[in-house]
Amino acid sequence: MKESYNVLLPDMKLEGLTGKLIVIEGTDGVGRSTQINLLKPWLEQQGRAVLDTGITRSALAGKGIKQAKEGHTLGKITLSLFYATDFTDRLENQIVPALRAGFVVLTDRYIYSLMARAMVRAIDPGWIRNVYSFALKPDAIFYLRIGVDDLIPRVVFTRGFDYWESGMDLHPSEDMYESFRKYQTSLLAQFDVLAQEYGFEVIDASADIRTVFEQLQAGISRVLTGEAREPLFAVPGAKAAEEEGERVRVVDFPALKESSGSVPEDEEGQPAKLVSHAVAKATEGDDKT
Amino acid sequence: MKRYGEHRFPGKLFVVEGIDGSGKSTQLMLLHQWLQAEGYGTVFSEWNSSPLVRDTTKRGKKKQMLTPATFSLIHATDFADRMEHNIIPLLKAGAVVLCDRYIYTAFARDVARGMDPQWVRELYSFAVKPTAAFYFRVPLEVAMRRLMDGRNGFKFYEAGLDLELSEDPVESFRMFQGRIIEEYEKIVPEFEVIAVDATLPIEEQQAQMRQLVKAKLAQAKRLRVAP
Repeated sequence: MKESYNVLLPDMKLEGLTGKLIVIEGTDGVGRSTQINLLKPWLEQQGRAVLDTGITRSALAGKGIKQAKEGHTLGKITLSLFYATDFTDRLENQIVPALRAGFVVLTDRYIYSLMARAMVRAIDPGWIRNVYSFALKPDAIFYLRIGVDDLIPRVVFTRGFDYWESGMDLHPSEDMYESFRKYQTSLLAQFDVLAQEYGFEVIDASADIRTVFEQLQAGISRVLTGEAREPLFAVPGAKAAEEEGERVRVVDFPALKESSGSVPEDEEGQPAKLVSHAVAKATEGDDKT
Repeated sequence: MKRYGEHRFPGKLFVVEGIDGSGKSTQLMLLHQWLQAEGYGTVFSEWNSSPLVRDTTKRGKKKQMLTPATFSLIHATDFADRMEHNIIPLLKAGAVVLCDRYIYTAFARDVARGMDPQWVRELYSFAVKPTAAFYFRVPLEVAMRRLMDGRNGFKFYEAGLDLELSEDPVESFRMFQGRIIEEYEKIVPEFEVIAVDATLPIEEQQAQMRQLVKAKLAQAKRLRVAP
């Protein structure tokens, strides 16, 4: 049965939420939506109904937040609460009904990004945790983790600097590059704290798209077939990751090791084959249950 | 982020609370007149929230899209905007700020809608603690009588129709306001709100209020009134 982190909303019945709530977290530009665009058809091919949702997509507050962000006029607490309104509208009107109908809900970010963003803006950590304490605990949280040095070229060489992704509201006198680096560094530090607290499954997002996709497939297959989760690993500190190399680098899915070992490098350009490979694996899993 | 009770500003903040029909707005208007005549820089906090937040609130109400949780959060968003952009700057500048309804309205109303009491209190913990808060205590039937004279009908959320307590708006309003009064009665001792007997003559209530406010105005700035 699903649980909330602490308080329950009025009229929120947790019985019968048979779907799976799967969160893809990670900072701006790390490739979350790319992965969701791959995961959705993959799941649908297996006959699973998928709802994908994400920040500012609520009917109630999505438009207001987008407009507010163009003007840069809202205070920090106000913006945090506006996001909370958007989240809650989606939780009650999209996520919960979909879970009740047995969907796989793939959510592009969840409360954790919203908490991290608030905390780097000097919002009280206890306060923001309370705000979201009615959120449902997901079945799995996959965190696409990346260092700021790997992130910069990815963001800058594709879409350029964005005011909010660069935290320009916090460092108005800096140029966007300096501000981006500072802002994303503190954001990533917050994510690492949250990863420990909320038990994220960490995926090294500096790897290529297909490798990340495979890891997500393996993780999601495991959730859908109800297999026990691998023992928790520590979130690697940036330093430790460099020194220790392989051992602490990524999530240690046995399935992943297998598949990455069996896929030679020259298959880079053929994701289709990998997809079917993963589908076969997932189907196997299904048969067991 | 400063929390309730931690702000230190030169200005003063006075708020009135109570159900509709308690007469609180009349009392605040009279207090405003008096403070201005006494030469205090007094601002009625206009609740000019940003159009973006206001539009969202309006749309949610008009289309009846709000649940107890989103009703609570969108009002908190709106309130935060007033706090960050209106009340705090005024208090920093040393003004006497007057508010018709404050966080206690949300505590009473949201909890009457089924939200967790501690969650709502913590949600609003960024608010400035008022210099004094007044609760105009009135029996439900007295307030209902005052309201029924002056208006024809209640709005959807105002009457608590979202809670499906009764299909009749007047009956729903009565039940919803009854719950709100219960919550106010918990809030009064918890937050040291000053309860005023709102069945007394208007001028008597006002005299009580002025006496209490005067005692709190020691260092407030007075304006030099132009001749």
